[in-house]
Amino acid sequence: MRLDVWGVRGSIPAPGPSTNRYGGNTPCLSIIDSKGHLCVIDMGTGVVPLGTAVLQNALPIEDDFGGGKGKATVLLSHGHWDHIQGFPFFAPVFIPGNTLNIYGNARTSDRVEAVLEGQMNPQFSPIYTLKNLGATIKFEGVRERQCFRVSNLEICSMELPHGETSALSFQIKEDGKTLIYASDAGYPAEGAPDAIVEFYRGADVLVHDSTYTPEEQEERRHRGLSSYVDAAAVAIRAEVGKLVLFHYDQDHSDDMVDENVRKCAQELERRGAGQIEVVGAFEGMTLEI
Amino acid sequence: MKVRFWGVRGSFPVPGKQTNRYGGNTSCVEVEVAGHAPIVIDAGTGLRQLGKRLVRNEFRDGNGLVHMLISHTHWDHIQGLPYFSPLYSEGNELQIYARQPGDTHLGAVFAHQNDGPYFPVPLASLKARVQFNELLEGQQFDIGDVKVRCTRLNHPWIAMAYRLDYGGKSVVYCSDTAPFRDILLEHEFIATPPSAAVPLDKQHEIQLRMMREKLVDLCRGVDFLIYDTQFTPEEYEAKPHWGHSTPDDAIAIAREAGAKVLCLFHHAPARTDDQQDAILATYKHLLRDDDLELVCAAEGMVVDLAEVGS
Repeated sequence: MRLDVWGVRGSIPAPGPSTNRYGGNTPCLSIIDSKGHLCVIDMGTGVVPLGTAVLQNALPIEDDFGGGKGKATVLLSHGHWDHIQGFPFFAPVFIPGNTLNIYGNARTSDRVEAVLEGQMNPQFSPIYTLKNLGATIKFEGVRERQCFRVSNLEICSMELPHGETSALSFQIKEDGKTLIYASDAGYPAEGAPDAIVEFYRGADVLVHDSTYTPEEQEERRHRGLSSYVDAAAVAIRAEVGKLVLFHYDQDHSDDMVDENVRKCAQELERRGAGQIEVVGAFEGMTLEI
Repeated sequence: MKVRFWGVRGSFPVPGKQTNRYGGNTSCVEVEVAGHAPIVIDAGTGLRQLGKRLVRNEFRDGNGLVHMLISHTHWDHIQGLPYFSPLYSEGNELQIYARQPGDTHLGAVFAHQNDGPYFPVPLASLKARVQFNELLEGQQFDIGDVKVRCTRLNHPWIAMAYRLDYGGKSVVYCSDTAPFRDILLEHEFIATPPSAAVPLDKQHEIQLRMMREKLVDLCRGVDFLIYDTQFTPEEYEAKPHWGHSTPDDAIAIAREAGAKVLCLFHHAPARTDDQQDAILATYKHLLRDDDLELVCAAEGMVVDLAEVGS
């Protein structure tokens, strides 16, 4: 499978020259499997350039989204703004004939459909209702540890603590390779629960929340996000192959992210896990897994 | 009186190299009057940086007061509010002014954005005091020594334009609006552009003419007119029902009203800095022998109205 990164920022988009290298768009990744199926993970503002790329046929996608014959899978970690705010601007949803199958947490108080319908309310959006989108939008509630198959991908979910709510982590497998998406993970100070570590275990690539420095985390643990040290610690316990830092604080400049990636590598080295490669996710990054 | 731009973009924030100069944050403008509490117009993502500045002074200790005029509650005009730092200190006060939203309370509209599942800090649990002031079209009121007037615009679910007068200087904020000729935009959802073959409903035509007259009246002799110019003429032709104007529409209103400076605002998300430069150059050339001065809003730009027309 191929991973493309479209948005890496947490909380709120952060435009300006100081975020040009890593990017200022809120979370969005795309996975394209060996059959050319498009799977979108979260729909922050990064989904806007993804939509443009899809319609320009700039990606190895089998379906014809421009011609209204596309079927995409969307995995939503949770309903916070930075993970859904790009949805009304994702160009393929305006083309009749396209279908989006959106998977989100079935256990939260609001159903996924209600979350996205509330986003389109006419007080806030000129769309008025999901029914006005040209594409067919279908919703699937996902329970914790539920697994399902789309195209050639095996997908399983796990609930992560995220402040007073939770966010879904997704495990995506194809041909013996595994990617984990774990954004907005806020573990207790003593570390991730064992069940979560087991869920991540042996992944080839772990895309993990790293909003804060450890110093910031001391005062912000209640917000339910990770520091790069939290990310390193869970990567070591789960013996992953590669750690991709993700979901940067909106106030962190490119230079600060550089510094955090460097310190994370030192932390892995110091804990005897120098074999785990660490990189900072950036907009435009592509990984073949 | 000074006008400071914190966000100039329409629809959604656009990070990246191609927006470094004009800026990628959504709509937020500050009107500064010496010795007066800050007045903010719209709360797009630009508001976050303004909040960071405010909490460096009296807002840090919970003694701050800020007034906020909201043109309408579409996301790109309110999405910065949950990230406005002064709201997280006890004692600060935020007075929000916006059009009375029909069959619901303004406070309930704003609560939707802050509550679960969208945001972890509900409006009711914010430490600062937030008060909502519902406005009627055409209402006049004072914010301290600043005189405020408003009139409605032609936009889906209706937006308001505001005029602020203080010490003989004035500014109008007019975003978002379609021109007042092809289609009446109110509460009905309109999926497609009107057919050229079908004439505009007579009643709608009269409503649009009155709306336009009131806007020209609001802008009469204004020093600085900030105007939604999201579209090029070609883009407008394809999307007249989206509720945005072109520089040509803005220039027509500015000329009729005798505005001194027209400021292009609410730039299209796909517009690169170089394209925006080209638009500005084209219209500056068009106005080369005109008394009307043309500028283009950019993040960080500050305009001292004392220097306008002097």
